[in-house]
Amino acid sequence: MKVRTLKLREAHKPASNGSPSFCSVLWDQQAHHLVTASSSDSAISIHDSLLPSQAPKILRHHRDGVTALAISPNSTCLASGSVDHSVKLYKFPSGEFETNITRFTLPIRALAFNKSGTMLAAAGDDEGIKLINTIDGSIARVLKGHKGSVIGLAFDPNGEYLASVDSMGTVIYWELQLGTTLHMLRGVAPNTGTDCSVMNVLSWSPDGEMLAVPGLRNDVVMYDRDTAEKLFSLRGDHLQPVCFLSWSPNGKYMATSSLDRQVLIWDVEKKQDIDRQKFDESICSMAWKPIGNALGVIDAMGKYGIWESVIPSSMKSPTEGISNSQSKNSNGLVFFEEEEKEEEPGPSGSLSDVGEDSFGESPPSRKRLRKQSVTEEFWEDDDAFEEISLPSKLKAQKTAATKHKEGPDKVKECVRNVTSLERPKMQDAFQPGSTPAQPGKRRFLCYNMVGSITTIEHEGYSHIEVDFHDTGRGPRVPSMTDHFGFTMASLNENGSVFANPCKGEKSLSTLMYRPFCTWANNSEWSMRFEGEEVKAVALGTGWVAAITSLHFLRIFTEGGLQRHVLSLDGPVVTASGFRDQLAIVSHASDCLPSNDQVLEYRVFNISNSTQLLKGRLPLSPGSHLTWLGFSEEGLLSFYDSKGVLRVFTSQFGGSWVPLFSSNKAKKSDENHWVVGLNAGNFFCITCKKPDLFPQVMPKPILSILDFSFPLASSDLGADTLENEFMLNSMRLSQILEQMEEMTRAGLDASSLDDDAYSIETAQDKCILRLIASCCNSDKLVRATELVKLLSFANSVRGAIKLVTALKLPNLAERFNTILEERLLKEKGEKDATVTVNAKTDKYTARDVLGSKASPAPIIPSASPHLSAPPLVKKAKLQDAAAPDKDNGVKVDAEDVNKSGEVNNDKLVEAKKAGKDAAEAKSKTHRPFNPFSKTKDDHEKGKSVAGAENQPLQRPSNPFLKSKIK
Amino acid sequence: MAAQSCSQFHVFSAEEIEFIAEDELIEIVPNMRMDQLNLIRGDFGPFLPQIATEVPLWLAVALKKRGKCRIRPPEWMSVEKLTQVLEAERDSEKEFQVLPFHYVEISRLLFDHAQDDIPDIYMVRSLMEDIRDVRFHKVETSLETFDGRTSAVQAFQKLGNMVPETDSVPSTRPQGTDKAARGRRILRGR
Repeated sequence: MKVRTLKLREAHKPASNGSPSFCSVLWDQQAHHLVTASSSDSAISIHDSLLPSQAPKILRHHRDGVTALAISPNSTCLASGSVDHSVKLYKFPSGEFETNITRFTLPIRALAFNKSGTMLAAAGDDEGIKLINTIDGSIARVLKGHKGSVIGLAFDPNGEYLASVDSMGTVIYWELQLGTTLHMLRGVAPNTGTDCSVMNVLSWSPDGEMLAVPGLRNDVVMYDRDTAEKLFSLRGDHLQPVCFLSWSPNGKYMATSSLDRQVLIWDVEKKQDIDRQKFDESICSMAWKPIGNALGVIDAMGKYGIWESVIPSSMKSPTEGISNSQSKNSNGLVFFEEEEKEEEPGPSGSLSDVGEDSFGESPPSRKRLRKQSVTEEFWEDDDAFEEISLPSKLKAQKTAATKHKEGPDKVKECVRNVTSLERPKMQDAFQPGSTPAQPGKRRFLCYNMVGSITTIEHEGYSHIEVDFHDTGRGPRVPSMTDHFGFTMASLNENGSVFANPCKGEKSLSTLMYRPFCTWANNSEWSMRFEGEEVKAVALGTGWVAAITSLHFLRIFTEGGLQRHVLSLDGPVVTASGFRDQLAIVSHASDCLPSNDQVLEYRVFNISNSTQLLKGRLPLSPGSHLTWLGFSEEGLLSFYDSKGVLRVFTSQFGGSWVPLFSSNKAKKSDENHWVVGLNAGNFFCITCKKPDLFPQVMPKPILSILDFSFPLASSDLGADTLENEFMLNSMRLSQILEQMEEMTRAGLDASSLDDDAYSIETAQDKCILRLIASCCNSDKLVRATELVKLLSFANSVRGAIKLVTALKLPNLAERFNTILEERLLKEKGEKDATVTVNAKTDKYTARDVLGSKASPAPIIPSASPHLSAPPLVKKAKLQDAAAPDKDNGVKVDAEDVNKSGEVNNDKLVEAKKAGKDAAEAKSKTHRPFNPFSKTKDDHEKGKSVAGAENQPLQRPSNPFLKSKIK
Repeated sequence: MAAQSCSQFHVFSAEEIEFIAEDELIEIVPNMRMDQLNLIRGDFGPFLPQIATEVPLWLAVALKKRGKCRIRPPEWMSVEKLTQVLEAERDSEKEFQVLPFHYVEISRLLFDHAQDDIPDIYMVRSLMEDIRDVRFHKVETSLETFDGRTSAVQAFQKLGNMVPETDSVPSTRPQGTDKAARGRRILRGR
């Protein structure tokens, strides 16, 4: 590749400090003039390309540097935007100032005319892109959505879209008719920051089929016109980000300039660079000569030049085939061409003043240099004229052309696409734990705590594999060749269910169930649905559910018996099964204008044919549902696209508790893909941002994360403790409710006792630590409230000792009163129960009386002090409290009296006493309770209490000790 | 442990070193459910399918042999990291790069038992060999500079980040002097 040098001439003075400025260059339609401007110069120069030695025409109307230039497609009108916040229009080529068409409050960075020249888009550091009607200067629309300053604008040649790019590299496709955002591609172009000499530019291919945007890897990326999908990229020898690009008039070639001071010429079809040129400064702007084989360039220092014969003569000319391709696009233009042939020598240009002007100026010899160029000129003139004078007619023709080209189907699709995007979209049905289809890659149809179902499409059919996480337990399932094209699946220990949507008329929607181990042969079954499509499937113990497009919920038994068919309220979003329970989420109505999905959940019990729950699903604002499932304990929970996990609680008449928020997690660069949860933790796959879902290979690894309430940052500074406190009380209420349910069902709930007990002890420890931190930060009222929440009387004693040690006699006294009240109350209630029991049940009465003779069991009450309703079985635990009931109080009183004396000693004493109490409790009554753990926690509690200045451990009050043990 | 210091110049045999290295912790992803294991050196587990947990290497290898887990190669065993280490190792003459003390043994065990869990295993293997060679070379050259006047300790102290290379030296390498052997012992005893 030969390296030629191109001589550049100064058009604009560089910035006084020598820093690069952004310069622009433009050709007019007839290639007679080259217009240049610089952001460091207030003048616009119009150079005559035929007489380069002649001094350029200078337009001095701006008061500051000119940052943007645009010329209307018929070359009658030149627009310029400047740092002085104004956009001016000039007559072209005369350069006569016409009007200040608009003003901004901040510098202008980009301008663009639409194809017909009726609309000018202007944007810059201001918020919003202004669409200005060039005829009357009225502002047709302001498009808001960019976060940074807009530095590139491009109208789609077919007049439907506007593309814009901002300094942060975000590209937005706007729908012009409605003024809505069609696609937003974040961070696809280089972030130019505040450097104003660098402009990102984006450009539609002349046929409008793709949009070229500088990419992040020193390349140019092509995006699809309608879907904004990345098509391909031109990547080569640019060492730094591309800062400008320009399509050749026929769209075959592209010139790109980069900050590495190179200009590369690409063959777009072959994705191959064909020529290059190095410059002394980076080239800010380039423009292909509309006729001929040349490229106008201008560098950051304001020097411009024309690179002649850019494309080697061996290759097709950059302008070759324009008229052909265009005539293919538009039926109307073929007509014009014919017309033009008929009256070729005739003054078709005289139809418009402009045409006349330009023809008048251009010598006829040039005009007829080549037949082709003449045709082009005619075509362009006619076109321009047509568009200006008869826009409606042209539009009709154009639509016809598009239809002709793309076929009615695609047009319809586009229209539908547009209408659905203009307002928030109701989310589609999905399977929890599935990942979207990626071409050529295996994807999850289902991933849950049991295992995964993956599929990969391969030449028309798919391979499905079922894997269990626990390979020891689950049966080995042979991989399956799937001719149906299943897109939905669900898996549990007993079997898997698959379903496919209907594709066209031939393939019906099918539901298939494959049990993993049965005694009978051929126990897999399938169902076909005519005129109906399966939207979601779920699996439970002994049943299979499918929800269809007719809003039917169909329940099958494991053997394939059609058990129930129900009608649901709305289109289904997703469904999940767990044992007997089936949860279904469906749309309750269209989305709210605020882009909130209106979803409704309901939970059925399949074996009892009952509906357990029903209500609205509380999603985060503007989010959609991404996962639905049950915890290992059977609590319904869901996860939304804003990364909030919510779990159902029967408290407050059935509500949802937010238990995790992805944004508040420690590592902000990770997305969490929830898989399952249990009482205390949840399991998820962490994906590095921006990935939203895991890939099948390498095998994802589950991480266990703790629940965390979205707590307000409290003045206490003990967030983890507060979180633990909340979690414990929630779990306790869950367990109590479960026990209640079991006793109601006549089952023995004693197995849950131990759980409840251990949570209660943990909760008391947590509360004690919270009390300590409350005392430390002088929140005494809060401490009193906390004391009332303690489950065990002994813990209250511990609290008294704690506050005594912290030299808060007031608080100790208050705590004492609370304790006394509590004991009195418990006693009173116990007596009441005893009498009642004596009457009703002899056995119980004897039991209770017997225990009353010795340390009496206290039947707990639902006293208003206790937020956590005590257990019936707690009597046993209260034993410890009973014997030292009176003495305890006395001793505590003593402690309080003495508290003024030797503080350090007291501190130790208090600690020790509290510890002993807890130890005694766990030792005597619950030998299985991990002793070491209790101790550890107490030691922790101790340190929280701030006993750093601890002296030697001295045996505490002997009286106290003997009493407790 | 296996180190019975019978002779004055005793060095650990390869098997013994491997045995010691097997106590290093490594992350595995079990595919079975198992309760916590209470071992002398501590508790490991509980093991839940698809949830990563740390266990001693010997346990990891034992589970791997039974097809009960995947081993996650340590972070330093990635191609990226090893390339960095190799480059740095070549650049600095006096110092050794930081790798786990038993990196040779750990990598060897993983290459033998968990080939399918290491991405780009050939690359990793060749990088490991290169690093080992570079480090041997360093030890060798420093041993050459070592004469009767300087003590072994001084000779080895010249090298920052002393490493266990010498013990992994197979017997095919020319055995050094008694002093070199002592130097090795000093190294090992670090």
